[in-house]
Amino acid sequence: MFGYQNKVLRIDLTKKATTMEPLNMDWAEKYIGAKGLAIKYLYEELKPGIDPLSPDNKLILMNGPLTGTPVPCSGKLAIAAKSPATGTILDCSIGGHAALKIKYAGYDAVIFEGKLSEPGYVLIQDGKIEFKDASWLWGKGSHEAEALLVDKYGHEASVLSIGPAGENLVTMSCINSDYYRQAGRGGIGAVMGSKNVKAIVVIGTGGVKVPNIVEVTAKLSEILREDTVSEDNMFIYDCGTTAFLEACNDGGILPKRNFSDTTDEEWTKYNGEVLLGNKVGKRGCGSCGLGCGNFLKIGDAICEGPEYESIAVAGPNAGITDPEAIVKANQVADDMGLDTISAGDTIIFAMEMTEKGIHDFGIRFGNKEKYIEYLKLMARREGVGADLALGVKKLSEKYGGQDFAMHVKGLEYPQYEPRGSWGMSLAYAVSDRGACHMRAYAPNEEVFAASIPPYTPEGKGEMVYNLAIYNAVKFSLVICDFWPLSIERMAEVMTMITGKEWTVDELNAVAARVIHLARAFNQREGFNRKDDTMPKRLVNEALKSGPAAGQKIPQEAFEDMLDQYYDVLGWSRDGIVPESILCTL
Amino acid sequence: MAVKRLKFSKENCIGCQLCAQACSAVHEGEFIPSKARLSIESYYTSEGELKYKDSFCILCGMCKRKCPFGAISLDDKLSLDPDLCTGCGVCAEVCPKKVIKIREEKAVLCDTCNGDPSCVKICPHNALRFE
Repeated sequence: MFGYQNKVLRIDLTKKATTMEPLNMDWAEKYIGAKGLAIKYLYEELKPGIDPLSPDNKLILMNGPLTGTPVPCSGKLAIAAKSPATGTILDCSIGGHAALKIKYAGYDAVIFEGKLSEPGYVLIQDGKIEFKDASWLWGKGSHEAEALLVDKYGHEASVLSIGPAGENLVTMSCINSDYYRQAGRGGIGAVMGSKNVKAIVVIGTGGVKVPNIVEVTAKLSEILREDTVSEDNMFIYDCGTTAFLEACNDGGILPKRNFSDTTDEEWTKYNGEVLLGNKVGKRGCGSCGLGCGNFLKIGDAICEGPEYESIAVAGPNAGITDPEAIVKANQVADDMGLDTISAGDTIIFAMEMTEKGIHDFGIRFGNKEKYIEYLKLMARREGVGADLALGVKKLSEKYGGQDFAMHVKGLEYPQYEPRGSWGMSLAYAVSDRGACHMRAYAPNEEVFAASIPPYTPEGKGEMVYNLAIYNAVKFSLVICDFWPLSIERMAEVMTMITGKEWTVDELNAVAARVIHLARAFNQREGFNRKDDTMPKRLVNEALKSGPAAGQKIPQEAFEDMLDQYYDVLGWSRDGIVPESILCTL
Repeated sequence: MAVKRLKFSKENCIGCQLCAQACSAVHEGEFIPSKARLSIESYYTSEGELKYKDSFCILCGMCKRKCPFGAISLDDKLSLDPDLCTGCGVCAEVCPKKVIKIREEKAVLCDTCNGDPSCVKICPHNALRFE
């Protein structure tokens, strides 16, 4: 197939040795690239039961056949490993330009194994790989580290870096690039930190070949105009993800005060209009057509963002309404190399614990100065940060408050209230890496499109399955979440770029394989139905405000949704992938 | 009628580099931005600024004027006579937008795709125009 470089760069950090090998094309035909193919490599190469923070874990950077071509919104890089936060499979998706640079350097994937003996960074310049000393960078924020490396290598170089959080193996640490883009969740930054890798610098001057390139380029320009940068999608360019703030507030799923309620009457203090009033620039990723990045400056705070998640978790969910504080929280989290969702959820959990008198973490709802200070303490494991760095699951096991510890499998809850969108409780429960909104985006159907009633378990198994299938294949091509292209369009661009005929059926088959394989990885680690959970808060406490006032999710309704989902996939009622499917993967 | 030239509005640029991909596709038969006849990027600085690099041909004609061998001609576009070009590099040195490169002892310049620039056609938010 065209599009691929047919080359994997394997880096043994322990020996400081590199090898090049062909991409496993049998696997590529079954899993395509990015998410799916990274999971396949990890499934085959990792032994079950390894410690994710040991040198046995592997950090895989994987692009797809479309990367580096003008397929709109194709500039995303999958970064995958076994998750330090959950022990499950973990794949993240980072924008910026790193995906393209790696492809142009000549690689479909870069696999990091082992561990450097001293803090270092890896420099990849096309075919030349060097291991460099990072003692002069270690301890610095991600932003300063990136700035110094860009000074040294030029801004044509892509820099992937960790902040102090990743260095200190905080299981909420992320990997940054282009200052403000992240591979965010599950502690992926801690995997990089555990390997003593402060940064990866990539310079790529090669290219990607496809058949009939001139016709393909013309056709892609057309698709870009008609289907990507269409009127329906322009809200992404105009507002970015701040658009979700209004939609979620109106829809009754914007969480408030650690998911104790929804709907914030004061949201006009920090809504999209206010935030975007401080916009000084626009940016997108490589090969993007849309351009969701809003570069904001407000008072002392600078950030490309904040995204919906980061606004909600540092805003209404923390009882904070000051837009400058919200942007500052994002900037500090990025610089420290912390996932805004998990770090924010941990801080707001600590707020509730303090308010309820269960344990005094010294912070209450609304305390914006401490919110920002606590991010820095968590990244460095200092003071109260040493405890907070544990994350919501371990913190609640240590101090109590488990009923309102909002996580699944140890990955903290994204900012969509499931009592207003019942299918989301299922989506969070069955997502391959813990509570994640990027596997099955239930609010699209239950709230925004209102295509299915939100406050019932009926039909949710199939709904979540269909949403999960769509994302599983999309993130394996890879194409960014923000282009809502049809699966027919996916087949069309895959055929154009690879030169092999791809059909909708084949893409759906890839999607199912990816979902089964991720589950298989987890079940090999001991996960089953008992780990597909919903926090007791959603069962015991009814929402008080907004369109979903009065709603809570009965445990039987949740169990029913789980049953439905497992049935659709052909898994046992215990959530186990049967041997008859395992042998096809 | 006035000669059409490439125009760039940075406020509309999202830094996607689709322009360089389209250019290299048409001229090199590969998606290879390092060999494109333009280079437009946006990037953040450590001082918290968003900056732009905008290296594209403005048809200023400096290359034609300074070429010691008369290898470059300019009417409504630039053309290179490869038989006259020795790869001396004077054009690349004087190009104010740093567009011209020397590769395999020949100048590589922007021919504005014969009046129908591919970069302009693909630019998603009309940051690049030909007018």
